[in-house]
Amino acid sequence: MNQNASSQAHRVSALPARELAASVAWFIRLRWLAGAGVLSAVWFIDLFLPLHLPVIPLYAIGLIILAYNLVFRYAFTRAPRDLPDLHRLTHWQIACDWIAMSALIYFSGGLTSPAILYFFFHIIIASILLTARATFFFAAFATGLIGALGALELGGALPHVEVFRASTLALTRDPLYVSGAIFFFASAAFVAAYLGNGLNQRLRERQAQTIQLNERLQTLYDAAQTINSTLELQQVLTRLARATADAMNVRACSIRLLSDDGARLIVGGVHGLSDAYIQKGDLVLAQNPLARQVLAGEVIAIADIAHDARLQYPAEAVAEGICAMLSAPLIGKHGALGLMRAYSVERDHFTASDANFLSTIASQGSIAIENALAYQQLGKLDQMKSKFVLTVTHELRSPVSVVQSLLRTLHAGYAGALSDTQRDLVERALRRSDFLQTLIDDLLALAAGKSELRVNEARVRVPLGDAVARVVERFQTPAQEKQIALEWHCDCDDAPIAILATQDAVDRILNNLVSNALKYTRARGRVAITLRRTDGNAQIEIADTGIGIPDDAMPHLFEEFYRAPNAKQSEKEGTGLGLAITRDLVTRFGGRITAQSKLHEGATFVVTFPENPKGF
Amino acid sequence: MANEKILIIDNDDDLVYAMRLPLEAAGYQVFRAANGNEGLQMVKTVNPDLIILDVMMDSTTEGFQVSLTLRNPTPASEYAAYRHIPIMMLSAIHSTTALRFAPDQDYLPIDSFVEKPVGPEKLLSQVRKHLEKKQTA
Repeated sequence: MNQNASSQAHRVSALPARELAASVAWFIRLRWLAGAGVLSAVWFIDLFLPLHLPVIPLYAIGLIILAYNLVFRYAFTRAPRDLPDLHRLTHWQIACDWIAMSALIYFSGGLTSPAILYFFFHIIIASILLTARATFFFAAFATGLIGALGALELGGALPHVEVFRASTLALTRDPLYVSGAIFFFASAAFVAAYLGNGLNQRLRERQAQTIQLNERLQTLYDAAQTINSTLELQQVLTRLARATADAMNVRACSIRLLSDDGARLIVGGVHGLSDAYIQKGDLVLAQNPLARQVLAGEVIAIADIAHDARLQYPAEAVAEGICAMLSAPLIGKHGALGLMRAYSVERDHFTASDANFLSTIASQGSIAIENALAYQQLGKLDQMKSKFVLTVTHELRSPVSVVQSLLRTLHAGYAGALSDTQRDLVERALRRSDFLQTLIDDLLALAAGKSELRVNEARVRVPLGDAVARVVERFQTPAQEKQIALEWHCDCDDAPIAILATQDAVDRILNNLVSNALKYTRARGRVAITLRRTDGNAQIEIADTGIGIPDDAMPHLFEEFYRAPNAKQSEKEGTGLGLAITRDLVTRFGGRITAQSKLHEGATFVVTFPENPKGF
Repeated sequence: MANEKILIIDNDDDLVYAMRLPLEAAGYQVFRAANGNEGLQMVKTVNPDLIILDVMMDSTTEGFQVSLTLRNPTPASEYAAYRHIPIMMLSAIHSTTALRFAPDQDYLPIDSFVEKPVGPEKLLSQVRKHLEKKQTA
């Protein structure tokens, strides 16, 4: 971080231009007060105090201060505010002030003037505005001015100005007093400069650290945001590598993950390296003590890649133009996952603070990588389940469908006419095989849902009104045959109610519920479907006047293979999977299903989905 | 009409038997191939009016490959003369597997897709539909 270190040094030694400009403006405002203060103090002392002030020169000094302040103000508003300009302006102001200050001191009694103390706040102001060197220079300048004043009065070159009733002339002619006064002035000036500067220096260092820390935190935060916005391993690794290289202001960053057998480190995510370098090969742990050390938990900096025996591919790194490298381990919950590397084109580039930073990013990154790995594992598991489901489909469903085809051919008389008994037997066999097929289909539907086989299935905006109309149309004939009134209406305003799901799933949910309602409702009964909108939710209610559900069956209603005793009695055939599948589908699309019933009077199922009014 | 030639390409003897009876009763000549390669050979020797094709035979996508070979659009294809024969595809792959099968000119060049089980009525009505379409075409 050499570049940063130098810019940091720059920041610590001087105020940034914007801040210096503000201080200069403040300085100019203060000087109006100082000039006015000198004029009014002289007027007050002359009028009320028994002192022999040389009024004319002092008024003149006050006016001169105001006059040059006007010049500085003009220069300040006109000058472009870059740093050298502002520094020059500041230096001139301090020089003028201090010369005016020295004149003020001379006309108020020279070394015996109490005004001499005013020099110190000037020194403190200088230490705030200027670099350490400039502050000490000005402390020396002040000492020079005061020393010259003392010396000139001592030698009689400048006549001493008597201000007080008691004469101070003797003091200013006493070499011991003069040298003592100058010595104490000088030491006080330098100590004040030193203290003021040290204090400021520390404040500025702290500020610079805070700024840098802030910048890095922001980068870390940004990195975390981008990394956590995906669970796809490749994306996590690439984003992490890029964010790290950006944050550390280095040429490149790579992430290598341990192979399944733990013997090698394979490139996972890269930013800023050439394809040729990436394809140089895996890091073989057995041949790479450096990688082993890093995996054991150490953060290791290689200051000069060309001359370090620990590297497996030094020539390739040199060819890539990489001179220094910093490696940090990626440690997961169950041990090392791999390592992260930052690459610089400068030898001896990485500092302890860089090592800390990479280590922090690596530990944050490990969490993201571990999550992504788990997600990948889940995907593999899903694929296995899907394959299982596919196999079951073929192996189980296929023979059953062949049995059905054979029986139907037989039943239709293609193998010769059947006697009544034969026909009856074939019909029974057909019913059973049809049931077996339904059972297999239901099991597959359930397994498909459970294995999230359709996790990638695109969800679309499904208008519920259309879906309900379709299911009503489909079941109208069977309902009429059973003399059941099948009706539906929408408790909604003109806006169509829609949800985010798949057409198939919605159809299947409605099919299952409506066919159940028809199945368990006797002749001259009624099945009513109501579609409504409640608190941003879409609600479908399917109410029947059927046999109802006993209270003790209620808790088991949605369990797989469960059938209520009265349902079994009423309809022999039923897999007990319909409601389990229905609930599975409903919850998959963020909905919920509830049931209410009074035995012998009917049952009401209510399905609620979050509404998707505007589409995407 | 009848007497048209139907080639069933399917490795399941029982299903072929169940289909052969109603088809022959309806007056069609039924030929059978037990796998994709045999089916492709027989397309040339029999020159059928309709092909009934199973999806999963020795391999899970054998039926798809047969259809792609038969409908290969390159003019030099050895099956160029048989490209027009309607293909009815059968399978037990239920829609619950999320594998959606629909005729597609590029990926699944067939004329219709029929889910098993296939009873005689469904079979005969589908067969008639294809053969009528072929005649009017």
